Amino acid sequence: MIRVGFLINPIAGMGGTVGLKGTDGVLAEALRRGAVPGAAKRAKTALSLIDGGPVHFFTCSGAMGEDALRETGITSFTVVYRGSEMTSEQDTRVACRAFIENNVELVLFCGGDGTARVIYEEAGDRLPVLGIPAGVKMYSAVFAVTPAAAAGLVNAITRDGWSGRPGSGHTGVLLRDTEVVDVDEDAYRNGELRTRLFGFAKSPGLPGFVQGTKQVWEEREEERAKDDIARFVYEIISATPEILYILGPGTTTSAVMQKFGVEKTLLGFDALKDCRPAGRDLNEKDMLALLERGQKARLVISIIGAQGSVLGRGTQQVSPDVLKRIGVENVIVVATPHKVRETPLIFIDTGDTALDRSFGNYIRIITGYHIAQRKGLGLPSGPERPEMTDP
Amino acid sequence: MYIFVQGILVGMQTRILLDEDQIPQKWYNIIADLPSPMDPPLHPATKKPVTPDDLSPIFPMELIRQEVSDRRYIDIPDEVRDVLRLWRPSPLYRARRLEQHLKTPAKIYFKWEGVSPAGSHKPNTAVAQAYYNMKQGIERLATETGAGQWGSALALATQIFGLECTIYMVRASYEQKPYRKSVMQVWGAECIPSPSTRTNSGKAVLEKDPDTTGSLGIAISEAVEDAKTHDNTNYALGSVLNHVCLHQTVIGLEAREQLAIVDEYPDVVIGCVGGGSNFAGVSFPFAGDKLTGKHPDIDIIGAEPSACPTLTKGLYAYDFGDVAGLTPLMKMFTLGHDFVPPAIHAGGLRYHGDSPIVSRLVHDGVMRAVAYYQNEVFDAAQMFARTEGLIVAPESAHAVKAAIDCALECRKTGEAKTILFNNSGHGDFDMSSYDAYYGGKLIDYEYPADLIRDSLGRLPKIP
Repeated sequence: MIRVGFLINPIAGMGGTVGLKGTDGVLAEALRRGAVPGAAKRAKTALSLIDGGPVHFFTCSGAMGEDALRETGITSFTVVYRGSEMTSEQDTRVACRAFIENNVELVLFCGGDGTARVIYEEAGDRLPVLGIPAGVKMYSAVFAVTPAAAAGLVNAITRDGWSGRPGSGHTGVLLRDTEVVDVDEDAYRNGELRTRLFGFAKSPGLPGFVQGTKQVWEEREEERAKDDIARFVYEIISATPEILYILGPGTTTSAVMQKFGVEKTLLGFDALKDCRPAGRDLNEKDMLALLERGQKARLVISIIGAQGSVLGRGTQQVSPDVLKRIGVENVIVVATPHKVRETPLIFIDTGDTALDRSFGNYIRIITGYHIAQRKGLGLPSGPERPEMTDP
Repeated sequence: MYIFVQGILVGMQTRILLDEDQIPQKWYNIIADLPSPMDPPLHPATKKPVTPDDLSPIFPMELIRQEVSDRRYIDIPDEVRDVLRLWRPSPLYRARRLEQHLKTPAKIYFKWEGVSPAGSHKPNTAVAQAYYNMKQGIERLATETGAGQWGSALALATQIFGLECTIYMVRASYEQKPYRKSVMQVWGAECIPSPSTRTNSGKAVLEKDPDTTGSLGIAISEAVEDAKTHDNTNYALGSVLNHVCLHQTVIGLEAREQLAIVDEYPDVVIGCVGGGSNFAGVSFPFAGDKLTGKHPDIDIIGAEPSACPTLTKGLYAYDFGDVAGLTPLMKMFTLGHDFVPPAIHAGGLRYHGDSPIVSRLVHDGVMRAVAYYQNEVFDAAQMFARTEGLIVAPESAHAVKAAIDCALECRKTGEAKTILFNNSGHGDFDMSSYDAYYGGKLIDYEYPADLIRDSLGRLPKIP
């Protein structure tokens, strides 16, 4: 039996679908824009995949944990903190202290970078921390790549226990140092990516199950590759002006927009039609409006940092509904060769598993001028490509 | 064929060998059997059909005659056949262990060209080209090389006939395969990474992109420029041209004889395709049988890389053979002469165009093509090495992959087809590529033809 502290930041991820980058200080605006809580759903996906028998959860009342546990049929839990209805950073802090008092072995939480930071400030590196991804900003490495992967790690701990130090030969789940990073949300909303490293937590990890810290590449080779990609995509857009192009976040897509003389929001989705701007920093509703009446569209999107997500993290404006209207076959993924090389696992996590699967086993990534690469896609725990050893 | 020793069955034949005096006496020229003439090469400046005089500054007259010949058979000079004896006739193998591993009813045969001193099929034409240049009093040959196999072959051939040799080697391969350079040096040739500062073509590319990995198209421009600007120097091309394909037909001619010994004729003939010469070599005698109605149903398959899928995704049109536009315009499948293919490990297949004859036959449906990614090609090479023992070059591994796919298809359909593929060279200098494969560093490049078509409105940019 392992003792697991479990908490949900119920408002995590709410900013994403309405085009706000995070909920810190703008929850009211997110609610006004029609955001709905999504963290509980992701938490329940993870909980439903955890082998409940050997786990006892210590949790918070209501939406911060208790509700999700009950709704997934888990009965082995103790509520150790009763918080306010409109949860705040303070609730997370106090709950964390209660977990420590109850000698939990692991804190499993569902939230974003902000939640990770607060937990780290309370637990430091004394207590292993594992995130179920739900927030808009997930630059920290404490997050599992998907809710299912988080459940897989908890199951591995209950089945195999903790390993000794790396290389000790002990089987079991390794504890490793993971960066806790948060982004200045005000700067982020203004198109500037300012990350701050808060420290190193301890997180359970198996290769492919935990995110690496996002990186901003600055090498010369990268700039050249970026320009090659931008030149190619510019030519495609210029030759097909009747198509609506929606360009996702990142410096590669920004380079494309620059070729049209348009400044791109670094972290938002902007649109081009007839080679002219057709919308900036679009949220889901904006995109759906642009896609009305069968408008043919293409989505140009990059791999997000080192975490390997093409759609999902940080791109929640592109909801399954938006993606279905654009069509999976109209998604153009772009990334520099270095970025592809340093991203061992590329996956799509839109929240709609059938839609994710419709991308197939491989994805084509434009990596240069008239050059693409094929990469294995998807399953965090699956092989990238079939072996050809035993026909 | 079964082998009996003193009347006792001891095994089944694995290698089918011919005697030295069975080296073909004539090359087979498939142009004689085409239903209509080839579209002529055009002069790069006038866009009019090239004349022998246009080609004479860089090629000897006998090769120019062969280039435009419509005679079905052309004699192989005794001096050339004497050199070919060093490794020809090459063995034909039955790949029984691979068949058993695949659990296929198909019979897989392969022609093994890795037995030549340079390790590939390339000396088949290098020897002939060096000989005709020597006969015409030429003192030096300039050429390009991709993976280094052609450069090695020409270095060997020029050494034998007492010529100097300058080789512009695609930089990506120069760095991937440093020992190829040493091989060329042993045979007395000078090997320079391309693009270089020695030619105006090279300088122009370097000015635009100092970090370029180079390409065959760029290296050809440099070698052609070198030959054009030096009276004592001619140019030699390791693939693409009609006379090169002609010289390689010894492969298919021998294979047809060897298969006849075991009472076989292939249902499928396979070769890897870069410029098309080894594919032409193994397949033209059989394609001739198809064109003349002797074996109308034979399936002839060229295997190319997805990173540079000239036959499967290119356009059949006139284009230059090189980047700088110095060569005649040839009617061929092309990805555009300015296309620089990604630095795949099968460096010999990084060519934007293809042999005009091979292109014509693919266009006419006499042959077809398939394209493969790097990792699946190395998967096939590994399987081949572990069953048949031979470690093949990444280029040849494309043919291995296509043969395996055909054999697996036979397992599904239950057909006992006879498959012949050309195993064009060994991979002894390609261990860094195998290292990359085992290190998970091989990139599965592809050519985004649909988006390129969108971006250009046509594919590719043709002059």
